[in-house]
Amino acid sequence: MPRPSLRPLLLGLLVLPLCAGDTVKIALTGPFSGGSAPMGVSMRDGAKLAIAELNAAGGIQVGPRKLPIEVVERDDEAKNERGALIAQELSAMDDLAGVIGSVNTGVVLAGDRHFQEKGITKIITPAAGSQSMTQWSEAKVKDLSIFRFAAHDGIQSSMVVAEAVRRGLFKVALLHDSTNYGVSGRDDLLRQIQAQGGKLKVVATEKFNIGDKDMTAQLLRAKSAGAQAILIWGIGPELAAAANGLGKLGMKIPLIGGWTLAMSNFIDNAGKNGNGTLMPQTFIEEPINPRVAAFLASFRKAYNVTRMPSPVSAAQGYDAVLIFAAAVRQAQSTDTRKIKEALEDLKEPVRGVIATWQHPFSRWDPANEQSHEAFRAEQAVMGMVMDGKVVFANPADRARLAKAGMGR
Amino acid sequence: MDIQIIGQMVVSGALMGLVYALIAYGFQLTYSTSRSLNFGQGELVMVSAFVALSCTRLGLPYGLMVPVALAFGALAGLAVERAAVRLALQQKSEGWIMLTIIVGLFLYSASENIWGRDDRPFPTPISSDPLHFLGIDVTPLELSVALGALGVMGLIELFKRATLLGKAVEAVSADPDAAELVGISATRAVMLSYALSGMVAALAGVLVSPITTVGPTMGAALVLKAFSVAVVAGLDSGFGVVLVGMFLGALESLASFYLGSGWREAPGLVLLILALAVRPHGVFGRAAIRKV
Repeated sequence: MPRPSLRPLLLGLLVLPLCAGDTVKIALTGPFSGGSAPMGVSMRDGAKLAIAELNAAGGIQVGPRKLPIEVVERDDEAKNERGALIAQELSAMDDLAGVIGSVNTGVVLAGDRHFQEKGITKIITPAAGSQSMTQWSEAKVKDLSIFRFAAHDGIQSSMVVAEAVRRGLFKVALLHDSTNYGVSGRDDLLRQIQAQGGKLKVVATEKFNIGDKDMTAQLLRAKSAGAQAILIWGIGPELAAAANGLGKLGMKIPLIGGWTLAMSNFIDNAGKNGNGTLMPQTFIEEPINPRVAAFLASFRKAYNVTRMPSPVSAAQGYDAVLIFAAAVRQAQSTDTRKIKEALEDLKEPVRGVIATWQHPFSRWDPANEQSHEAFRAEQAVMGMVMDGKVVFANPADRARLAKAGMGR
Repeated sequence: MDIQIIGQMVVSGALMGLVYALIAYGFQLTYSTSRSLNFGQGELVMVSAFVALSCTRLGLPYGLMVPVALAFGALAGLAVERAAVRLALQQKSEGWIMLTIIVGLFLYSASENIWGRDDRPFPTPISSDPLHFLGIDVTPLELSVALGALGVMGLIELFKRATLLGKAVEAVSADPDAAELVGISATRAVMLSYALSGMVAALAGVLVSPITTVGPTMGAALVLKAFSVAVVAGLDSGFGVVLVGMFLGALESLASFYLGSGWREAPGLVLLILALAVRPHGVFGRAAIRKV
């Protein structure tokens, strides 16, 4: 863990309010304590880094004046009921420009209806569960103030299946935890296997519970069925137990699964048994071009860390703020509804650390929730755990992303 | 292939079962002298593991960290006895049930605040690369759990049988009033049994942590199994816990393999109910015969 440093505090001072009405007020929400904290804290820190940089340049140009950004932080502790309370509180603020955050799909489902009711603009990042957006297309809402800035599970499961096919691992075992996230991940995987021509044969489907440490039985069933790879959907600690079980049983087959396989509590608990694990990522902590190198350097300096707890969350938090700021500039207003209109038709390309974002969202189409999803498959790559870090699994992606991030 | 898989499941399960047996043995130690148990035993396992982890972080080598953790466990056991058990026993009340649960809850919240809520890896010099015996994979780490558990139980049994102090403890177990009459302090024997029980909990924590990781909830998962083992074996059965622990561990593995991972806990619970129905004193327990 990073040692406490004064720098985040100093950054905080930079984003303090000058006086009401003269600022762009953005709320950052997420789990800043507990098991999901690596994602929540990284997202918050990435976002605050972008805000500090914008404020250092005087703020966002609105009309004749430059308005600094003011931050409101709320820790939802990954608890659904806390998330609902925070959403109620925030949507009662009449000067709020918008909300960025949420890690846990349950929290999103509990809270976002309050934002939608009041028309508060929210960018969800990094929560990936498909339901966060499909709930709105299923409800057939006409106008939506919720956007998502994360590679949703639909993209991720399709990449996982494609990766197994690409590596010629045709007999796979599915392992998933018994939570909503794990079960819907399993269903996404099965759907993708169908969609991609049924090339993969599922030889075993096994589940495990939160808190399980011994996966011997599940893994042996996979082994005796002749699985060549394990496709897995769960969170850090149990994923690590699966990796350690593979090591113990001497099974040299890869684990491929959701982006949670990059959580620091997977990497640390699995140790060398985690090496070779594959997962979709939207950002890899490698200085592939000057833009990313500068971001990594200022993040490490500001928060006094050598490794980001969750690089994907940090980069998404950073880029989400830049996109939001671009929308404020285009709207020429701090009114949350006008910012929403601007987000749906963002004219100016935004040079982020993940990509240069051209028109990331479009007008809400109830028949297609992709209209409010920023990520497409090309913004994600396969990452691989190697000696305590996540690196590019395919060198070609490294070159592709390095170029994409340079912009034009 | 099939035989190998069964063998693998039985061996992995039985080795984990020895951890249940070790914690169950901690229950037996105090039950035999005082007819009381520490319901916060799982939290002692967890706190000792965290203390051991902190020692390692401070740079203590493994060989030095283990005795420190054991000493901490023994002290913690004494503290539990003084805080939660002694007064209740003196008043012949069952207050120790509530009090030991409360001490456990306190330790749980304290460690959440001191060490955080995350599961953390526990470094160990013992390798986790598998060794192969007849097609079965066993890691040296698992073997260390077995050796440590059996070793310490053997030593404590030897102590109880071969030393004067140990015999005093045995005497109090057999009949506290008679023991007091011949000049043995029952209170001291109970204190000693709680210290030993705490030490056993600490050893279980140190042994199992490299396999399961350390986190505030680690104790709760282990202690329920250990409690079943203690009850099925009989709360005064000595080595009976070893057999029952290994059996339960193997049974759990086989059940999750053949019935599916959702059924893992089921056979253990059925076994518990059966044992209580058929042999209420435990499979290896002695029915107390009171001569009037």
